Amino acid sequence: MQGRGPWAEVTGFVVRRLLHMLFVLVGISATVFLIFFATPGADPAARIAGRNATPDTVAAVRREFGLDKPLPVQYAMMMDHLLVTRDLTSFVNRGERIVPEIAEAAPVTLSLVLGAAAIWVVFGVLVGVVAAAFKDTVIDRGLMVAGLVGVSVPVFWLGEVVNLITQSRLHDTFLFSWVPALGYVPLSQNPLGWFAALVLPWITLAVLYIGIYGRVLRANLIEALNEDYIRTARAKGLSDWQVLTRHALRCSLISFVTMFGLDFGALVGGGALLTEVVFGLQGVGALTYRALEDLDLPMIMATVIYASFFVVVSNAAVDILYAAIDPRVRER
Amino acid sequence: MSGAEPLRAPAGWSEPARLAPPALGYWAGAFRKLLRNPSALASFAVLMLIVLVCAAAPYYARDVSHTDPFASNVGGSIMVGGKSVDVLQQATNGLGLGLTPIGPLWRFGPYALGADDQGRDVAARLLYGGRNSLLIGVASTLICLSLATLTGLVAGFFGGLTDRVISILLDILWAFPIYLLAISLSIVLINQSLVIGPLQITGSSLALPILIIGVVYVPYVARPIRGQVLSLRNSEFVLAATGLGVPRFRILWRDILPNVLSTVIVFAPLMMALNILTEAALSFLSVGVQPPAASWGTIIRDGEGLLYTQPMVAVAPGIAIVLTVLALNILGDGLRDALDPRAKLRI
Amino acid sequence: MRLHRIGALAAAFVLGAFPAMAAPSGPHYGGTIRLVAAAAEGTMDPQVNYTLKYWQLFPFLYDGLVTFKKAGGTDAFTIVPDLAESIPTPADGGKTYVFTLRKGIKFSNGQTLTADDVRATFVRLFKVLNPNAGAWYNVIEGGDACVKTPASCTLPGVVADDAAGTVTFHLVQPDSEFLDQLAVPFGSIVPASTPAKDMGTTPIPGTGAYMIKSYDPNRGIVMVRNPYFKQWSADAQPWGYVDEIDYNFGLTPDAQVTAIENGQDDWMFDNIPVDRLNEVATRYTKQLHLNPLLAYFYLTLNVNLAPFSNEDARLAVAYAINRADLVKLYGGPALATPSCQVLPPGMPGYAPYCPYTMNPGSKWSAPDMAKAKALMAKSGTAGQAVTIITQTIDPYRAIGVYLQSVLNELGYKASVKAISPDIEFTYLQNTKNKVQIGVTDWYQDYPAPSDFLNVLYSCANFHPGSDTSINMPGFCDKSIDAEMQKAMTLSLTDAAGANKIWAQVDRMVTDQSPTVTMFNPKHADFVSKRVGNFVFSGQVYFQPELAWVK
Repeated sequence: MQGRGPWAEVTGFVVRRLLHMLFVLVGISATVFLIFFATPGADPAARIAGRNATPDTVAAVRREFGLDKPLPVQYAMMMDHLLVTRDLTSFVNRGERIVPEIAEAAPVTLSLVLGAAAIWVVFGVLVGVVAAAFKDTVIDRGLMVAGLVGVSVPVFWLGEVVNLITQSRLHDTFLFSWVPALGYVPLSQNPLGWFAALVLPWITLAVLYIGIYGRVLRANLIEALNEDYIRTARAKGLSDWQVLTRHALRCSLISFVTMFGLDFGALVGGGALLTEVVFGLQGVGALTYRALEDLDLPMIMATVIYASFFVVVSNAAVDILYAAIDPRVRER
Repeated sequence: MSGAEPLRAPAGWSEPARLAPPALGYWAGAFRKLLRNPSALASFAVLMLIVLVCAAAPYYARDVSHTDPFASNVGGSIMVGGKSVDVLQQATNGLGLGLTPIGPLWRFGPYALGADDQGRDVAARLLYGGRNSLLIGVASTLICLSLATLTGLVAGFFGGLTDRVISILLDILWAFPIYLLAISLSIVLINQSLVIGPLQITGSSLALPILIIGVVYVPYVARPIRGQVLSLRNSEFVLAATGLGVPRFRILWRDILPNVLSTVIVFAPLMMALNILTEAALSFLSVGVQPPAASWGTIIRDGEGLLYTQPMVAVAPGIAIVLTVLALNILGDGLRDALDPRAKLRI
Repeated sequence: MRLHRIGALAAAFVLGAFPAMAAPSGPHYGGTIRLVAAAAEGTMDPQVNYTLKYWQLFPFLYDGLVTFKKAGGTDAFTIVPDLAESIPTPADGGKTYVFTLRKGIKFSNGQTLTADDVRATFVRLFKVLNPNAGAWYNVIEGGDACVKTPASCTLPGVVADDAAGTVTFHLVQPDSEFLDQLAVPFGSIVPASTPAKDMGTTPIPGTGAYMIKSYDPNRGIVMVRNPYFKQWSADAQPWGYVDEIDYNFGLTPDAQVTAIENGQDDWMFDNIPVDRLNEVATRYTKQLHLNPLLAYFYLTLNVNLAPFSNEDARLAVAYAINRADLVKLYGGPALATPSCQVLPPGMPGYAPYCPYTMNPGSKWSAPDMAKAKALMAKSGTAGQAVTIITQTIDPYRAIGVYLQSVLNELGYKASVKAISPDIEFTYLQNTKNKVQIGVTDWYQDYPAPSDFLNVLYSCANFHPGSDTSINMPGFCDKSIDAEMQKAMTLSLTDAAGANKIWAQVDRMVTDQSPTVTMFNPKHADFVSKRVGNFVFSGQVYFQPELAWVK
C-alpha cells in the first residue's frame, strides 16, 4: 500500500473495474446463449429452412449454419461473427445482418431517450427545487403526490391512453390534429416531423423519471439545507432562494448525476422497450423484443450484449467517479 | 422495463442508517409513528379495500355478473332495457365487417364495464385479475426479500471468497437489463416446463411469473443490504461484541439481522409496487400470466385491440394498477419515515 | 455540392449506357405506389424465400419458364408461357419436357438470358437449400442426389442447349404438378453467375418489368423499372403502370390503416385490425376490396396422442365448435365462410361437404352439441388434460381461448399455450413437442388439390422425430394414400376424372377428422383513394404493378 499515490490507486481500480466489466459481459452473453439453446421447439434449422422443408433439407441447413457443432463451439462461432467479422446474420430474416440492424435502431432509441431525458431533468429539478422551497406546504405535498402518481403509472398503459386520446378521441380537434401516425421520422429527413413524432413518447417516458428525480432531489435538498455550512451561508445573509439554488442544489448534484448516468445507460441500451413497442418506434428495445418473441438467437445475443454494455459501462463510470471522489471505495 | 428502474439504489449505498442495535422500544415507537401518519393509514385502508373486493371475485361473478369470466361468450346475448342484445355485436353498416363488444352498462349487474373480445365480463375479470396481480406482487416480494436478505447477509458478513462469488453473480444479474432477463426467462420457461427437484412448474402456472419476478430483482435489494451488513460488521458495537467473544452466529442473529430487518421492511411495499408493475408489463407483452387466467396486465393486453372502440377494457385495469401501486408507494413512504428516515431509497 | 455533382455525372453515365427504352405512355402511366407492412420477411432470394409477402413481388421482378397469368380472380390460375415460347407437350410418357427460350430477353444487369442460365438456376435451387427441393424438385433426374449432397450437385436431369436455345428436363416419373412448380417464384430464372448461396438482402438481377434498387429489412424495398425490359407477353409479364414501387416497413397495422386513410401510403400488407374494420368498411367502402382465398383455418388434432387418438373424441370437437362464433372472431361473415372440409371453394375437386352440423349436408348451419356430448361419452376421454397450441396474435389467440372454452364444456381440462407466430408453425410440426391440438391455417402454393390433401395428410409427409412433419396430425391411412396416388397419376391424362377422386379423398379425410376445419378466409385489401385498377389475382393476390396511381 505504501508508496502508491492516490492516482496509482485510482488507475488500479479502473483496471480492475474494466476487467470485471469484461467478465460480466461474457457471463451475460453465455447465460443468454444457454437459456435460448435449451429451448425445445425452437430449432433454428427448421425455421431457417422454411415451411414444408424435408428433413434432408433441414439437416443440410443445420450443417451449413454449424448447428450440429458442440455448444461451446457454436458460442465461439457466434461471438466471432458478432464482434470480429461483424457479419452475423439473423436466423429468422435470412441474410439480415445483425450489426447494421442495431446501428440503424440505435438513433431511434437515442432520439427517444435524449428528448425524454431533457424533459425529465428540467422538470425533475423544477419539481425538486420548488417542493423543497415550499417544504411542508400544500404545494410541496401536491408535487410529491403527483410525483408518486408518476412513479405508479405503468408506462405502457400511459402510452396506450395517450394514443387513445391523441390518435382517436381528440385527434380531429385542434388540440391533436398535428399528431402524426405512430412511427419514427428520421431527424435528417424531416426535423419537424421528427419532433412531432417523438414529443408524446418523450413525455410518456419522462413522467416516471420526473417523479423519481423530483422526489430524490427534494430529499437531498432538505438534507443539505440542514448541514452546517448552509446555516453559515444563511447567517451571512444570503436569501433562501440563493441558498437553495447556489449551495444546496450544487451539493445534491453528485447523486443526481449518478442516478442520471445509470438510468440513461439502461435506457439507451434498450430499456425503453415498452415505450417503443407502444408507440411503434423501431428502436433497440423494440428490436430486442421482436427478437425475443421470434427466438432469433443471433439478434438476441447482439441486443443483449449491446444493452448490458451500456448498463455495465454506466455502472463502471459511476463507480470510478465515486472512487475518484471517495478513497474508501477503492479498497473493495 | 422502463417502469422497473426506480429501485436502482445509488452506487454509494453504504451508509448505514443507525449503527446501534435497535432497542426494544424501537418497533413500538415506529408503529406509533406510523399510526400518526394519516396518508399512510389512508393508503393502507385503500389497499385493504382493493384486496377485499378482489377476494370477492367469485361471488361477484356468480351473483352479480352471472357469467363465467373464463369461458368465451362469443355468440351470447343479454337483456338490456327489455331488449336482447348481442354481447359481441356484428357491424351492420358498410360491408358488415368487424365486431364490437358491448360497452360499459354502468350498473351493478352483468357487463358493468362491458365485454372483452371473447364476450367475457370485464368487471368480473378485473376482480379475478386483481387476485392474480396482488398474489404475484406479494409472493414475488416475499421471495425476492428472503433471497436478497440471505445473500446480502451471507456475502456481507462472511466476506472473502463467499462474498466474491456472490458479488459476481449479483453483478451479472444486475448488469443484465432487467426487463430483458425477465422476458427471456418467461419466453423460454413458458415454452417448456421448469423442473426443480420434485416440483414441476408448467408454462401456464402462476408460479412462473412469481419466481421470475422474485429472482430478477434480488440484486436491487441484496446489494444495499450487503453494503449495510459490511459497515455494520466494522461498526464499534459489533467489533466490541466480537472482542468479547460472542459467537458469530449470535452476532449475526442478534445484532445485524434486526438492523437489516427495518431496511427490508421499508423495501417491502416498494418492491411489491415494482413487482406489480413488472407483472403487468410482462403480461402486457403476453409473457406473464397465461390465458384464460387474468391479471391486470393481460386485461390491458386484451383491451389493446379494442382501444379505439371500447377503451374501457384497457383503461379500467390501468386505473386499478395505478391505485394499488400508488397506495403501496405512499405506504412505503410512511414506513420509511417511521422506521428509517435516512434510508436512501429511490422513490 | 460536390456530392451532387458526382451523383449527376454517375447518373448521366448510367443513363447513357442504357438501351433506348420503349417506355410505355398513356394516361395512367407513371408515379410511385407506396406499399406498407409491419416488418420485412427475410431474404430477397427468390429461390429461398417462401413467404406470401415476397411471393407477391417476385412475379413482376422475375420470370420462370412458365408463369401464372397476370390476371384477376381464378384466371390467374392459368399457366402461360413466360421465358419459354410455348408450353411444351411432355414426351416420353410425361417424363421429358423441352422448353424453347424466347430470344433477346435481358436481365436487369444487361446480360442476355441463355439456356445455361436456366440450367444453372435449377442447380442453384438445390445448392441454396430451397425449402421444397426435396418435396417438389427432386422429381428431376439427379434431384435426390442433390438433396443429399447439395455441394456436389450437378443435376443431370436438366440439359441446356445454348445454340438451339432449348432446355430439356428429364423427370424420374410423370408429375402432373411439374408446371405449377416451375411457375411459382422458386422457378425464377437468375443469371448463371449468381453465387450458389442465399443472397439475403443483396438483390439478384431478374428479367421482370421491375428490378430491386435497394432492400433493407428494417426500412423497406425500392423497386424501379427494369431498363432492359421489353414486353413480350402481356399475360406473362406486362408493362406495369407505375414507375416505382416502394415498400415501407415498420408501421403497426393500426398505423398502416391511418396512413392509408390519410393517403400517406397506398396499400397495406397486414390484416386490418378487427378493431378498425368497422371504421374502414363504413367510411372507406370503395377503397376496400374483399376477395376469397384458396385457404382454410383449421385445428390439427394429433391422432397418435391421447385424447385425440380416439376418433370419437375428434368427431366430438368437430361437432362442438361453433363455426359462426369462429367466423365472428375472424371479423364477421363478410370476411370468412364456415366450412367442414379440407378443400376450399374454388379449388379443383371441391365438392361441398359438411357432416359436422345440425343438418348434415353441404353447408354448415349450427353446432350439434348433443351429438358432440354423446360422442364424448362414447370416447371415454372426458377429464383428460389438453393443451391448445396457438399464436400470440389475433385471430389465432382469440380462437385458442375460444377453443379452450369449448373443450372445457366437452369435459376436458384445457389450457392454452400461445407462442410467437414465427415459431408456432414449426412447433406444431415437431412430434417431440407432443402437441395434442393446435390452431393453424394453410394457404395454397398453387391451385391443385394435392397441395392440400397430399401435402398435409399423406403418410410420406409424416416424419416422426423431426421439426418438419408438415402432416401435423400424424395421419396415415394407406387406402387414402392409394387413392391420392391414383388421382395424381390420372390427372396427367384426365383432369376431370382426377378431380372426382380428389373430392372423394376430401370426404374420406374429413370423415376421420384428423383436422377440424373452421372456415375459409377472405382477403381484405385496403387501398388509398388514388389507387385505380385494383386487380386481385387468386394466385399472388394484389398485383401492385397492375394498379395505377395517376
